[in-house]
Amino acid sequence: MDMDMDDLYLDNIDEFVNDQNKIVTYKWLSLTLGVHVNTAKQMLYHYLEQKRRESSGTPLHATYLVSGKFVENGGTCHKVSVVREDKLEAVKAKMDVTISVHVYSVQRAELKDSSPLYSTDYDAVKENLKNSNKYSAIRCAAAVPMPSVELRAQEVAVVPPVEKEIHKPRLNENTSATSKPSAKQPAGIMGMFASKNASKSQESSKEVKTEQKDNSSLVETSKTKPASKANPMSNFFGKPAQKKVDEKRNKSIKEETDGDSAASSTASVKLSQPSPKSEFAIKEEQSKVSSALKVESKDTRNKSKRPEVVDSDDEKMENQQKKRRRIKKPQPDSSDDEVVPDSPPVPTKQTPSPKKQVKREPVSHQESSDVKRRKRRRVLKSHTFVDEDGSFVTEKGYVSESYSESEEEPEPKSQAKDSSSLKQSFGKREEEKKEKSQKKTSATNKSTKQPSIMGFFQKK
Amino acid sequence: MATLTRQDLNFGQVVADILCEFLEVAIHLILYVREVYPSGIFQKRKKYNVPVQMSCHPELNQYIQDTLSCVKPLIEKNEAEKVVVVIMDKEHHPVERFVFEISQPPLLSISSETLLSHVEQLLRAVILKISVCDAVLDTNPPGCTFTVLVHTREAATRNMEKVQVIKDFPWIVADEQEVYMEEAKLIPLKTMTSDILKMQLYVEEKTQKT
Repeated sequence: MDMDMDDLYLDNIDEFVNDQNKIVTYKWLSLTLGVHVNTAKQMLYHYLEQKRRESSGTPLHATYLVSGKFVENGGTCHKVSVVREDKLEAVKAKMDVTISVHVYSVQRAELKDSSPLYSTDYDAVKENLKNSNKYSAIRCAAAVPMPSVELRAQEVAVVPPVEKEIHKPRLNENTSATSKPSAKQPAGIMGMFASKNASKSQESSKEVKTEQKDNSSLVETSKTKPASKANPMSNFFGKPAQKKVDEKRNKSIKEETDGDSAASSTASVKLSQPSPKSEFAIKEEQSKVSSALKVESKDTRNKSKRPEVVDSDDEKMENQQKKRRRIKKPQPDSSDDEVVPDSPPVPTKQTPSPKKQVKREPVSHQESSDVKRRKRRRVLKSHTFVDEDGSFVTEKGYVSESYSESEEEPEPKSQAKDSSSLKQSFGKREEEKKEKSQKKTSATNKSTKQPSIMGFFQKK
Repeated sequence: MATLTRQDLNFGQVVADILCEFLEVAIHLILYVREVYPSGIFQKRKKYNVPVQMSCHPELNQYIQDTLSCVKPLIEKNEAEKVVVVIMDKEHHPVERFVFEISQPPLLSISSETLLSHVEQLLRAVILKISVCDAVLDTNPPGCTFTVLVHTREAATRNMEKVQVIKDFPWIVADEQEVYMEEAKLIPLKTMTSDILKMQLYVEEKTQKT
């Protein structure tokens, strides 16, 4: 080990850290100097020791990688984390068993967050993508990239065992609308794709499986239509459903359409007959979906995203009468609100009424804002959304900010809080007025529960 | 592939778009790293495939976006020489100036297919450099504010006044005291050169900050 480390490397690291003001991570160092990662870690450690001993010149900061067994909520887990030097001892103390600690990076700047650590490795790793584990200590003999021929062979093998299960969903299609789409999802999907017997559709089935939401939407179509039509149907159904899906799902749905277009060339006869019917069915589906969207907007405000999607699909499953009933329900209630603002029943109505106040706005607006709201929820965790419908969006931003402000938590925690704060904020906001001047409500909202936006400026 | 000249406005727009996106990210990052605003308003987002900190505060975001949309037409015509982010203390004396010097070569050639990914790589490096700049800068006094100045070539501002790009967002000629800093130290941060854009980032820092 000592042979690898003459003093030249110390000068190298010194140049990187002090002269070029770089962040030197062990991974970057190993790729740059062409040494094994463990050697790189040792080099960094020695460098740090030496510089600290000298205690001259600019102060250095380091981050460490700690991994060990951690007991959380009654279960043990193996936790690996990158920590700043000042938090190192605290994290080590929390662990049951500390398995490894080593220097992750050395830099002059005191990093406020971990983003530069990722950026600094990005280019070096990208250049060495094919042999990124050349210097790595992690080895797995079985981990080699698969050639594409083997990939298809594997998918064909997966499909036949599932064919037996197809019979069950088909029987159920005719009997009753189920209330548990999730249980049948995999079987239903495999049924759809197995009927095609095209290799490409099997590839796309893989992508579908990765997204649970896709499964639920596709299963519904398989229930309403025979399986042979379901494949083209699902693609079309995928399009209106895209309103409520994020980009990932869009990609998988598009890949399905690609898969299907390829499959259609091999099974063109099959498609031509169902296609006129499927087109008609598509319009039905779309109208169903749009009405489902409207209906769900009223009921699913406080739920997380996944149940929302399943709800809409459930509503689709029920016959149209029920749907119409649901749509009509709020209208008499809202008209009651308008007519009798102060009557005794008002207190009982107050909790449902705030929810329905928003319904008074044109339904299309509701739908779009609800669609936006769904996006917003997710978006809030990782996105800004300024250019949409003014105040509503602004509130979202405000709420997440004010929570993290008042909690004074570091960045990662504030993001985890967003999802919970969102639900609370929804509930609380609806208890406010029926106003269009929602900005005002946001200000009053904030004054009742959180330090207001002025807090930003006062803190400065 | 084609060799375009400055007259080809479409390409100029592409460069201006790239640069304005970059400047938006850079300004947010400067505000985060120099602690002009509390870190609670910032949120990790992705740009150029790396995480960056952007603010969630709508008015701040709107301000920065409006500023940059006014700067964009100047960049398109290559009239913007420098874009400066000035950080000022409570008495409105500048303590730090982040200067982005921009120049575009007159003959732009999109000869390389990997041009944009190359530019992305260079911009990523500039972002990284901003993230670690607090190693070379002294801490700022509390209660700082920021502003954005644009130095234009020749008399471009006269045209700007005639055409207000965004209503209610007027640009005024900056005061002497905001533009020039006495006792300034110059700290270079990063230079990038590419086929479509040349940019230099340095910081002018006041020697005595409090």
